Amino acid sequence: MNVLGGSETALLRTAISAAEVRQQVIADNIANVDTPGFKRSEVLFEELLAEQLGKRTESKLELRRTHARHIPAGRGAGVVRPRIVMDETTRMNNNDNNVDIDREMALLAKNQLRYNAMIQQLNHKISMLRIGIEGR
Amino acid sequence: MRLNDGFEASASALTAQRLRMDVIASNIANAETTRGRYVNGRWVPYARKMVVLEPVQKSFSNLLHSKLSGGKVRTAGVKVARIVEDSTPPRLVYNPTHPDADENGYVRLPNVDILKEMVDMLSATRSYEANVTALNASKAMFTKALEIGRQS
Repeated sequence: MNVLGGSETALLRTAISAAEVRQQVIADNIANVDTPGFKRSEVLFEELLAEQLGKRTESKLELRRTHARHIPAGRGAGVVRPRIVMDETTRMNNNDNNVDIDREMALLAKNQLRYNAMIQQLNHKISMLRIGIEGR
Repeated sequence: MRLNDGFEASASALTAQRLRMDVIASNIANAETTRGRYVNGRWVPYARKMVVLEPVQKSFSNLLHSKLSGGKVRTAGVKVARIVEDSTPPRLVYNPTHPDADENGYVRLPNVDILKEMVDMLSATRSYEANVTALNASKAMFTKALEIGRQS
């Protein structure tokens, strides 16, 4: 039996790893704030997740698929993966760089808080399970 | 591990900004140096130096991973590609008593503009601080991740 194999844990895990990727991308953007011609990247995850969840509000449960080529129906949020996109359309500086340091710092703080919140949520879930297992 | 890449990116930027700071310090220190190099029996003043920053390409394993997961190839941090000299002409100052003055009494002083150097220095300091903040953020996240499943 897989105790932590629920869909909520899977979703949290994906979200946490998305926050880690985002941290890396923001660190890279900040590192290249003075590099001529550098274009900033960002991580799309929440938007993709909302899109995925919004598409299937009518059916809450995922259908079980016995064959890889069956059409998926239901939630299936586990398949959403963070995507890194590069913003090549803007310019922030005379040297073609488009890193806005203030924005990056704000995103960094936001990402950190969100990461902490998700870890706390995961910890809460684990402690609830512990209560259930130990019965106290 | 992904958080480690964040560390690497920030650390490389700290190195690059520190080197930039060293170059600026050299420029300010040599703002009045008339004997930078000896070329064809004649002293040439110090020339202002500048760093050229460029993004670091990822290592092979990272490249492979990003290709396999269908992502774009991205960079990881920054490095100083080379240090170049400013080619603007030297400042000419009339001072016939100077030992390096030419036959018309003009001294060729370095093309270092102190104001420019100070502004560059501020910029390097701020960039350095921003990268320290990013590094601390990565560190805090790493520490937080170690708390998963710990009994309080």
